[in-house]
Amino acid sequence: MALLERDEALAALTAALRDAVDGSGRIVFVSGEAGVGKTTLVRTFAERSDAQVRVVSGACEALFTPRPLGPVHDIAVEVGGPLRAALESSADRVTILASLLAELRATPTAAVLEDVHWADEATLDAIAYLGRRIDTAPCLLVVTFRDDELGPQHPLRLVLGELPSRVKARIRLDPLSEGAVEELAREAHRSPFGLHAATGGNPFFVTEVLAADGEDIPETVRDAVLARAGRLSEAGRRLLEAVAVVPGTTEFWLLERLAPQERPQLDECLASGMLTSMLGGVGFRHELARLAIESSLSPDRRVGLNQAAFRAIADPPSGEPDLAALAHHADAAGDAEAVLRFAPAAAERAAQFGAHREAAAQYARAVRFAGELSLDAQARLYEGVSYESYLTGDFADAIAASTDALERYRTLGDVLNEGDSLHALSRLLWSVGRTPEATVMAREAVELLESLSPGHELAMAYAQVAALSMSADDLEGVVSWSTRAGDLAERLGDREILASTRVSVGGAEYAAGVPGGREVLERELDLALSTGLEEVAARAFNLLVRAGMRRREYAVVDRYLDPGFEYCRERELGNFRQGLGAERARRFLDLGEWTAATDAADLVLSTARTAGMAPFVALTVLGQVRARRGDPDAWAPLDRALEMAEPSGELQRLALIAQARAEAAWLVRDRRRALDEARAVYPLTLEKQHPWFAGELALLQWKLGGLDSAPQWIAEPYALQIAGEWRGAADAWKARGCPYEAARALAEGDEKAQQEAYEAFLRLGAVPAAKEVGRSLRALGVSVPRGPRASTRENPAQLTARELEVLELVAEGLRNAEIADRLVLSRRTVDHHVSAILRKLDAGTRGEAVAAAGRAGLFKDR
Amino acid sequence: METYVIQRRGGWRTADELLAAVARSEAELEWAPDDLLWIRSYVLTETDGTLGTVCVYEATSPEAIRAHASRAGLPVDEIVKVTDTLVLRPDSVSTAP
Repeated sequence: MALLERDEALAALTAALRDAVDGSGRIVFVSGEAGVGKTTLVRTFAERSDAQVRVVSGACEALFTPRPLGPVHDIAVEVGGPLRAALESSADRVTILASLLAELRATPTAAVLEDVHWADEATLDAIAYLGRRIDTAPCLLVVTFRDDELGPQHPLRLVLGELPSRVKARIRLDPLSEGAVEELAREAHRSPFGLHAATGGNPFFVTEVLAADGEDIPETVRDAVLARAGRLSEAGRRLLEAVAVVPGTTEFWLLERLAPQERPQLDECLASGMLTSMLGGVGFRHELARLAIESSLSPDRRVGLNQAAFRAIADPPSGEPDLAALAHHADAAGDAEAVLRFAPAAAERAAQFGAHREAAAQYARAVRFAGELSLDAQARLYEGVSYESYLTGDFADAIAASTDALERYRTLGDVLNEGDSLHALSRLLWSVGRTPEATVMAREAVELLESLSPGHELAMAYAQVAALSMSADDLEGVVSWSTRAGDLAERLGDREILASTRVSVGGAEYAAGVPGGREVLERELDLALSTGLEEVAARAFNLLVRAGMRRREYAVVDRYLDPGFEYCRERELGNFRQGLGAERARRFLDLGEWTAATDAADLVLSTARTAGMAPFVALTVLGQVRARRGDPDAWAPLDRALEMAEPSGELQRLALIAQARAEAAWLVRDRRRALDEARAVYPLTLEKQHPWFAGELALLQWKLGGLDSAPQWIAEPYALQIAGEWRGAADAWKARGCPYEAARALAEGDEKAQQEAYEAFLRLGAVPAAKEVGRSLRALGVSVPRGPRASTRENPAQLTARELEVLELVAEGLRNAEIADRLVLSRRTVDHHVSAILRKLDAGTRGEAVAAAGRAGLFKDR
Repeated sequence: METYVIQRRGGWRTADELLAAVARSEAELEWAPDDLLWIRSYVLTETDGTLGTVCVYEATSPEAIRAHASRAGLPVDEIVKVTDTLVLRPDSVSTAP
């Protein structure tokens, strides 16, 4: 059957492959609904590609708990060598990824990863890993996925978002047009009447209908597939059913054991087109067809086939059994004993590869079959679910599982484990901002554990109370509980707890402005880094950055933000990475780079699933940027952030959201609401003597006429501004690199200062604030010009973001046609961009433009 | 997706410039099919003779609108959220470029 309406997509893939072969690796994402022809497109592309290019491929399988790095295993089988050796020797993830990259560097390659919407976490990490390094490899990575299965929380979104735009392109396949469907019908000598309407132009559906050869058009894909299967012999259908219980490829040895009598019918199934040959075996032409057949099996037949598959896979002709597949078939066969044996083992294996989402799902699968186990064994499985969920940031699941474990230890009267569970639960509750509950649990843990002889569990419980005291800005509490924890840890020789308590003390002191606190924290960070205490180091990075941000000590922030983020990313310390990601968004907000701020906030929000500190901070950023721009929907994120902050009772959260909300109300000239928001939390900032939070809330009230004076200890720029020294305040803000706050101070100055403020607000895109100053200037009799647009004001030459991107490629020496390929734009569009760039930079040639851009510092971000 | 009205006032000097902007806009929309849907636009003649537009988009967020505008080099003066639509008569002209 002809491949219709896919010429453009093929051309884009070919262009990307040419770039890759020339040494600039690319990732192209091919997306579309199920059955739209992604696989067909990629296979056609592979068949037509240059013989000198090696094509390798791997596919993700529709397993509830996929095999970690499944598609990489497929590729390893094809290429052999060190990659295969690394996978077979169960090397660590980093070694495996490094050998994969080395393999792709060695020879020009088109690597295809299919159905990545089903990918396990380790495979997604592999894509992210390759994405950051592919630009120097002669490799085109083609990744296919179903975009209709990509919900807003799907982890693939994060991977897509984080890949550098230089290397990635996306091809979206649409269903076939009416004309194309007619052509296919004609080829099959069938009437096209009603075919496009019934199938929505879905190529798989169309093909099935045409192959079913019936009078009527079936209503669903499933009906079409079953009608087609109905035309096979009885034995052929039984063979089809056997293959249907195995997602992905059914290898030949497995097929022999699943359907020994029906094996001769394989040719019939292949000839009918329902099955197709795959590397080492056979499979359905499409997952939709497999699902249709599988769902038509009687319960007995399904259990029988899954039992046979389980027995076969448990005893493979070579190598070790695939644990994830065993757990899958044991589950489908309802074999509790086998699930309890293999699901936890598969979980451990998945965790070892960093596939924590799959590990949690395997433990959860075991829990479903654990009714007959001892309470102790059940509690262990719940702990597995809890810990793996915690690592992936699924706090709600982690809390529920941890509570289940706690209940079982309580029933057993196992005091040590009860105390330990309370401690774990306290940490989880704290992570999502339920601080008061977390404190109750931590104290309870201490009480229980003190009744036993003192051990690690007690030291950790002490350390937990200390950490909670830090959240409450209770410095005395931090010091006294840390001392208890530290003393015990020292006696036990537990380095990690000792280091962790020192980090707590340093962090609390730095946040409270105690001299020397930051230095303690920095020293402990160095120590943790050099001794490999990863969680301690990640926590120290977070505390330095967060306290630095709240105290507006940007030199400290800039020293630790990016290195900390990279550190946590490489080690998969997801929660710590999210925390730093959110602070990075606030850093951009303070710098006046609001687009970067919302991008960073978006990245946090698209992956965080519960009410932790990171999404809270990201929401404040999103709301503040919208309010400052005068964009709609500012209150939705600010309302959600308030809901998250309120149960915590913490200054860190309440003050941050109060200042964002008071400012947003002020910008829409809702004076009463602004005052109410500021006043609600101001007393807490005074009680805790936080110079920056108190300063911001004092300033807002003062501007609204609701406050005459503020305490002396508020931060300098605020004190100056409230004292009427707007010039000094503006200078202080400029020195810190905060343009919005500086303009806010200048707006209270003389005519010249107000004009400067007006310009600055326009540059930032701060429309409501600019309007406010504009009104004041007009009242002074000054005519206010309309400023250039915010979107083109982000760089001195007023290039748009796209023009900058084009300019960078010009700087790399690419011709317009090459740039068009690279950015997936039309040639005409690129011509237009280049002439706009030359005009704006006042350059006669491309070389001059690149030189001028270099002088203007336009390449600074890359 | 929510519906938004976007004002792009006086962004272009000539019809050709505007058409080039439309082409860039469409090329960029290819990239964000899940976040943005361009419904329709009204082209305005400003008092100074330049051209502006009022555009109706469906979008997942104001940021998605701004990101698209920035990539395509389109001005954004104001984004307003639409809460309801009352259609009394169809638009009198529809000449998609």
